[in-house]
Amino acid sequence: MAVLSLKNVCFSYGKTPVLQDVSYDFEKGKMYCIVGKSGAGKTTLLSILSGLAEASSGSIMYNDKDIKKIDKYKFRSKYIGVIFQSYNLLTKFTALENVVLSMEIAGVKKIKKAEKALELLESVGLDEDEANRRVLKLSGGQQQRVAIARALSYDAEIILADEPTGNLDADTQREIMEIFRSLAESGKCVILVSHSAEVASMCDECYELKRIIQKNIKRK
Amino acid sequence: MYIIKNAIKCIGRAKGRNILIGIIALVIAVSACIGLCIRQAAESARESTLETLSVTATISFDRQSMMSQMGGRGEKPSENGGGGFDKDSFKEMMGQSGSLSLEEYQTYAKADSVSDFYYTLSASLNGSENFEPVSTDSSDTDSTSGGNSAPSMPGGFGGGMGGGRGQMMGAQSDFSIVGFSGDNAMTAFSSDGTASITDGAVFDEGTENYDCIITEELATFNEIAVGDAIEFTNPNNEDEAYTFTVVGIYTDTAANQDAFSFMGATSTDSANKIYTSYAALKKIVDASEASAVTKTDEDTDREYTTELSSNISATYVFENTDDYYQFEEDVRDLGLDEKYSVSSADLKAFENSMLPLETLSTMAGYFLLVILIIGAIILVVLNILTVRERKYEIGVLTAMGMKKAKVALQFLTEIFVVTLAAVIVGAVIGGVCASPVANALLENQVTSQSSQMQQIDKNFGRDQNFGGGKGGFSGGEMTPPDDLEIPEGMLGGAAEYITEINSAMNITVVLQLLGIAVLLTLVAGLVSMLFVMRYDPLKILSNRD
Repeated sequence: MAVLSLKNVCFSYGKTPVLQDVSYDFEKGKMYCIVGKSGAGKTTLLSILSGLAEASSGSIMYNDKDIKKIDKYKFRSKYIGVIFQSYNLLTKFTALENVVLSMEIAGVKKIKKAEKALELLESVGLDEDEANRRVLKLSGGQQQRVAIARALSYDAEIILADEPTGNLDADTQREIMEIFRSLAESGKCVILVSHSAEVASMCDECYELKRIIQKNIKRK
Repeated sequence: MYIIKNAIKCIGRAKGRNILIGIIALVIAVSACIGLCIRQAAESARESTLETLSVTATISFDRQSMMSQMGGRGEKPSENGGGGFDKDSFKEMMGQSGSLSLEEYQTYAKADSVSDFYYTLSASLNGSENFEPVSTDSSDTDSTSGGNSAPSMPGGFGGGMGGGRGQMMGAQSDFSIVGFSGDNAMTAFSSDGTASITDGAVFDEGTENYDCIITEELATFNEIAVGDAIEFTNPNNEDEAYTFTVVGIYTDTAANQDAFSFMGATSTDSANKIYTSYAALKKIVDASEASAVTKTDEDTDREYTTELSSNISATYVFENTDDYYQFEEDVRDLGLDEKYSVSSADLKAFENSMLPLETLSTMAGYFLLVILIIGAIILVVLNILTVRERKYEIGVLTAMGMKKAKVALQFLTEIFVVTLAAVIVGAVIGGVCASPVANALLENQVTSQSSQMQQIDKNFGRDQNFGGGKGGFSGGEMTPPDDLEIPEGMLGGAAEYITEINSAMNITVVLQLLGIAVLLTLVAGLVSMLFVMRYDPLKILSNRD
């Protein structure tokens, strides 16, 4: 059963259409990759899936419930974990604080949030010293791991990642992909947005977004 | 809860910015604290003084009001007689009105608001060959010995000037004799009074015997001792003589402050004030009335009487100012004509003493307002810049699912914590500085006020007392009815200003400061909130990418 499904989703920036009739289903325990050339609308689709943007038409169902009927803040903070391309971490906070804050926003009831956060950071390959370092003092790969730990901190069913390996070297890329694989195997629905064929090859299913060619009537 | 934790973390992570906001808030807090302390001190001084102030009041003819009612606003009368001030009507009205009778005064004393009541009768008498008034004018002695006229006022009643039916007597006689209704009327002899007996004793309360007390100066001047007899004559009729026994000799430290001595009339010199009982003086006045002769001046066709001129005045005592204000209403209910007004020299003196502090308090109020407006503007601008600077943070937090309202609340908490800390430090600094600053400012005010008064005195060439009550009698037409009931120092020349205040830092000031902190936080935070609510996380994060 699909945990997230898109039905005829359209989106446009003003009069410029970006997505047209996109219909995908995403199931738990699988790793998906949305591929496409630059400008195909991959990041836009990710924004719609994460509730940051609203589709012009069509519907997005989360566990058979239209996400329009779910509070968008609650959806973002509890049901879906997003790993942004540029990580979007709070730079003046430490890695640990970023993860703890995410748990607090989600309203995680665990008393020892710091311990749980530390465990998560260790699970993505960051030790305690790195966890207590300010984000700005971490490398790109480490920041990516912090972003993943943050997305996992409130146990969301869906993990969305925008170009998760874009800025990473091959070894780190492999390690990160292994983390995503293990997340999918643990029963989560992992959706990756990438233009990398290698990333796509490591996923269970791929959806390709085609760039919409807008006909220029005047020129015609 | 995490919002507060997060806010506190954020404060620590942006030290520079928050120190800047803190310094501005601190300056506002210190200034506001000093301003509030000054205002509080003024308020406390007013309240505490009013609580302990025993208010006395008198009823007097409201000449000014009558003049304005009669159209006396300085317009020149028109040719047909309309408009302008009708002097004849005014004089006629003045003649009819005069002062109230003792019975009328006693009627108003029945008002519930009155806690005590006393009255005095004053008259002016001349001395005799063996009893002369003290005078600084060397020409006085010879002519006074004649016993009929006051030499310092050539052309006085006895000298042939001929005033109007004895009304001007007080200004041209040798002695001013005051008869007191009781011991309570002799306020100058009370515990906080300025007069005291140096020999003998004060006459018995309510006695009809011709007993009196005289000043030390007068006794020395005439070589009079307790038990000696002194003789007075009616200035209008030298054959009408009265003999008193001196039962006491007194001294009055406020004697030299008498503002009436400038007139040159010996009777207005406080050394020539003789005190007796009301009953004794009343006996003389009644006797003089009974034997009075009326004469008509052939040249002017005006009538003159030899009747001894006298004036009665009453003083009402109240426990507090509320009772005084109640009395103003009560007397109207009891039938006091609008031509008369109730006034309190104590309250006027109190208001005068408060003048520099009140001025300072008003200035502190304006200063506070300006500081708050400027401070609020600076804080708003700083917050706008801060919010713009933290746009990315807002985008991340909202993308993580934090509601915009919570983000705004976090920002508000940050401002509040910084402002609160600044206010606490500011309250301490302000509390310490308030007294010295306030006293320094107050000193300036007092100096300025005193300089003004001194300049006025210099311009007048003598002591002048604006607003103190005596100025109203400067025309010298009659002895002020309440001259003896008003405590010395309250009217005598310069006002006794409050020149020092203690630190008025109290819970009210702290609460007011807290209110200011909340107000500033809300004003500055509201702008932050508007900005936060306006931002779209996707736009912020996309633009950054």
